[in-house]
Amino acid sequence: MLEKQLTGHRVDRSICAWFWEQAISQGDSFKLQPVIASPTHYLFQVVREGITYLACTQVEMPPLMAIEFLCRVADVLSDYLGGLNEDVIKDNFIIVYELLDEMIDNGFPLTTEPNILREMIAQPNIVSKVLSVVTGNSSNVSETRPGATASCVPWRTTDPKYANNEVYVDLVEEMDATINRDGVLVKCEIYGEVQVNSHLSGLPDLTLSFANTSILDDVRFHPCVRFRPWESNQILSFVPPDGQFKLMSYRVKKLKSTPIYVKPQLTSGGGTCRVDVLVGIRNDPGKTIDSITVQFQLPHCILSADMTSNHGTVNILANKTCLWSIGRIPKDKAPSMSGTLVLETGLERLHVFPTFQVAFRVMGVALSGLQIDKLDLKNLPNRPYKGFRALTRAGEFEVRS
Amino acid sequence: MAPPAQSQRSPSPSQPSGKGEVSDLKSQLRQLAGSRAPGIDDSKRELFKKVISYMTVGIDVSSLFGEMVMCSATSDIVLKKMCYLYVGNYAKVNPDLALLTINFLQRDCKDEDPMIRGLALRSLCSLRVANLVEYLVGPLGSGLKDNNNYVRTVAVMGVLKLYHISASTCVDADFPAMLKHSMLNDSDAQVVANCLSALQEIWSSEASSSEEASREREALLSKPVVYYFLNRIKEFSEWAQCLVLELVGKYVPSETSEIFDIMNLLEDRLQHANGAVVLATIKVFLQLTLSMTDVHQQVYERIKAPLLTLVSSGSPEQSYAVLSHLHLLVMRAPFIFSSDYKHFYCQYNEPSYVKKLKLEMLTAVANESNTYEIVTELCEYAANVDIPIARESIRAVGKIALQQYDVNAIVDRLLQFLEMEKDYVTAEALVLVKDLLRKYPQWSQDCIAVVGNISSKNIQEPKAKAALIWMLGEYSQDMHDAPYILESLIENWEDEHSAEVRLHLLTAVMKCFFKRPPETQKALGAALAAGLADFHQDVHDRALFYYRLLQYNVSVAQRVVDPPKQAVSVFADTQSSEIKDRIFDEFNSLSVVYQKPSYMFTDKEHRGPFEFSDELGHLSIGAESTGHASQSSLAIDDLLGLGLPVAPAPAPSPPLLKLNSKAVLDPGTFQQKWRQLPISLSQEYSVSPRGVAALTAPQALLRHMQGHSIHCIASGGQSPNYKFFFFAQKAEESSTFLVECIINTSSAKAQIKIKADDQSASEAFSTLFQSALSEFGLP
Repeated sequence: MLEKQLTGHRVDRSICAWFWEQAISQGDSFKLQPVIASPTHYLFQVVREGITYLACTQVEMPPLMAIEFLCRVADVLSDYLGGLNEDVIKDNFIIVYELLDEMIDNGFPLTTEPNILREMIAQPNIVSKVLSVVTGNSSNVSETRPGATASCVPWRTTDPKYANNEVYVDLVEEMDATINRDGVLVKCEIYGEVQVNSHLSGLPDLTLSFANTSILDDVRFHPCVRFRPWESNQILSFVPPDGQFKLMSYRVKKLKSTPIYVKPQLTSGGGTCRVDVLVGIRNDPGKTIDSITVQFQLPHCILSADMTSNHGTVNILANKTCLWSIGRIPKDKAPSMSGTLVLETGLERLHVFPTFQVAFRVMGVALSGLQIDKLDLKNLPNRPYKGFRALTRAGEFEVRS
Repeated sequence: MAPPAQSQRSPSPSQPSGKGEVSDLKSQLRQLAGSRAPGIDDSKRELFKKVISYMTVGIDVSSLFGEMVMCSATSDIVLKKMCYLYVGNYAKVNPDLALLTINFLQRDCKDEDPMIRGLALRSLCSLRVANLVEYLVGPLGSGLKDNNNYVRTVAVMGVLKLYHISASTCVDADFPAMLKHSMLNDSDAQVVANCLSALQEIWSSEASSSEEASREREALLSKPVVYYFLNRIKEFSEWAQCLVLELVGKYVPSETSEIFDIMNLLEDRLQHANGAVVLATIKVFLQLTLSMTDVHQQVYERIKAPLLTLVSSGSPEQSYAVLSHLHLLVMRAPFIFSSDYKHFYCQYNEPSYVKKLKLEMLTAVANESNTYEIVTELCEYAANVDIPIARESIRAVGKIALQQYDVNAIVDRLLQFLEMEKDYVTAEALVLVKDLLRKYPQWSQDCIAVVGNISSKNIQEPKAKAALIWMLGEYSQDMHDAPYILESLIENWEDEHSAEVRLHLLTAVMKCFFKRPPETQKALGAALAAGLADFHQDVHDRALFYYRLLQYNVSVAQRVVDPPKQAVSVFADTQSSEIKDRIFDEFNSLSVVYQKPSYMFTDKEHRGPFEFSDELGHLSIGAESTGHASQSSLAIDDLLGLGLPVAPAPAPSPPLLKLNSKAVLDPGTFQQKWRQLPISLSQEYSVSPRGVAALTAPQALLRHMQGHSIHCIASGGQSPNYKFFFFAQKAEESSTFLVECIINTSSAKAQIKIKADDQSASEAFSTLFQSALSEFGLP
């Protein structure tokens, strides 16, 4: 089942047939290539939630432009339709066509800012359904013209009005870490985002400052952020778009420690391999660490595995992954998992060493140490509600054995 | 969208053919068409939705065209949109019926609602029916002057669509000039951006035929225009910014201060949330500073952090594309990234193509200070579950060793690999130890001790086996049982499938024989006998050659087969620096992702044969390739502008003989012809001193001769003697010239032997060749 809209030069639909043939014959590895050469075109592909987005070109072009655009299309579509799957797309052909129509013309991306699109094409959400029943006007296109395209801040609708003015600022961080065979922290880095959810009337002007910007290694901003104040005082000054958006993303490198430790130990001999994994708190972040899981891929040469733990549950999944869900670390004991792996006959010792992937979540703290100092709002009729939250998750947190 | 016509698609049982449904819809639409009852729009909408969804799943609903058009008289915007969509889809196959729609579309173009005006104009231009273009000019003209920016944006794109349907109509109506006017004066940034993209496309495809258009295209790159865009860059949408940045990248500033102005202005673009903008900015920076070495380095420092962030954020697709660019930069300036080596450590669940890129980068950035840590990291991958990556990382360790840093520690690691008892690890490590010994013979004692313990029976891979055999031969005096291992290998001659291994075996047993004659004599005899009986030509020839050498004189044979060797200082690089430079010039394009310059994959002859071709496909390919040709010539201009040592091909004096610039000949045919044909001409020329100087990079000569339609098929040699084989073909007929050219740089002489299919033309060709050669190295 495929869905597409062609602009500019016509491309024959058979390219899709070609694509599927290849995709089916080559399996998963094919799905990972972002750029594919077909006999007539170069195809860009992005896969999201089981739906493949394709773009083709015959000439040289910046690859990121196509890939970024496809990602944006995927984001906008799932934003509009509230999640994506084949059925949703089938039910909303019209919306998808309308959106694509506004997003790209003749092969050149036009408007991808969700706020503006929302003004041109109404969302098929419950509110509009209710509204249409009440008013008897079932048109799913709002009657207003795209006003924001004319406004001086293109990312903001001209004049939103809210009874309760609210703004939420979330620090969401992901910790990537690699711990090598000797238990040494090889690499530890945090990728973080400042996500803002703004419901503010009029044209507010916000300034957000941090207590310790010196730790930031590299930053990227939403187009609404003014560059000069950041350059001189490390202050984020901006007129926010309406609704949820990513204000800034940043990277903090060379962190010295991780909140938890995972110590795997493998000893093999005589056709079996003994596995022991210990998990505990290394550096207490002050808040509870929850949703802890440890998983590893069983090597191919393993016939069977028998793993048990003193806390949490251990499952061997169908794809030969051993998943140990710990949840929270109890106060009185250190969780441990142990068991034996039976090797293929003829193998004395295990030669491949699995990598343990660790996941966890810490609410209420940004492990990079970044702290919001204050948020000032100007141009607002009444005092808004300001909310701050922080969250750190494990990203690519891996422990080698 | 081109829905396949019903005839092409075989009706599958699972999919409704739609015949019944379509006729059902037809009658329902008829009923609604005339009705003006309230609520009629709702029922129309339901029907239209059905039609559209049939269309999307590939059922041919073109028979409803008339009814759809009749129903289109409505004020409901959604109905209109669906109707436009339908019309846009089927107008191409029903040009006659499309005429029906013109009327209502033109009416809508004058609607008071700008949204409807815009949509109608867009649909009107998307009909793509050649005989309807006359109806487009009027609405487009007024659309360009509309007071609503939405309509103007659509109109600009409409002009481009018109151009692709009928270029002459578009140019005759003077639309390009109007676009230029709005590009420089319109208040709306999106209109301006669309104008720019439309004009670029129109002028570059017109440039080949019209003098004026090429002037206009140049004018887009003039200082006032570029500055106009730069000053407004923040108003543009992110996509339009990419477009502007691409334009700026082609601009050549006249003064140094300009370069700094532009860079200051664009610096904050590096922090944009859109990766495409960031990459486009980086390209501008790199291009601008190419000639200023120290600033160029600073640019590298500046762009490092944004690039690394881009890699770690975003989807895997994005990060791969960025990583490819990073890879290119790392290869060009490894030392700048040497402190960031940890970014190139592989993550467990990264796809292997990402890991491969990272491994290459790790190899490149290794230096005195970080080698130890990098090698430690690489050694962990050797135990990786992913076998190709494990192999790749062992190779990386070897490459780092060959780069001469801290060899001591690395040799230890490599020897540990040999003891890991995993066959693929052992195999890779053996190959590396061999290369290492060729470069650092002083390590032979340590290595031999370990290699000697490896049983040749455990090694199956030809390359590894060959490496082991090579070491057995080379170091047979130090390896106690070398002759006996060789002997057992020779006993299994029949089971050895790889010719490479058998060749190595022959040579090794010879070397062993010179060092330890009494122990090896028997094995040598067996090997030569087996070799002579071998069905593989090379093996047979080598065996015969050795046999005769030995017959002639043993000490001469020793000098030939086992001369004292110098340590190899540099191993040949696989990709020439010329190609790398070319890719660098095409930064922020697909070339980087493919690691090939664009001409290698966008030119037709490099592309595979078309598997499907219909009229439509061909048409668009034709249109695109003209556009591209002019682009690539631009890229070459660029290259020259940068002052790279490429001699521009000065227009050759009217050649008596015209050569085919796209001649092709495969090496096999070349060899065959070279053997068959007699030498028709043999001459000696002198080479200009500048030519000799330029020969330090023999690649330059190949490129130069290619400019004269003389292609190289093989080249080799080292200073002072270089040897080249060239070939060329006559333009009209397939008559070939073959040339052997030996250039001695110390005497500045070139010896030429020409063989030709057509002997009579060889004199003329010789003149051509000589003049081409004499121009080599001229600035």
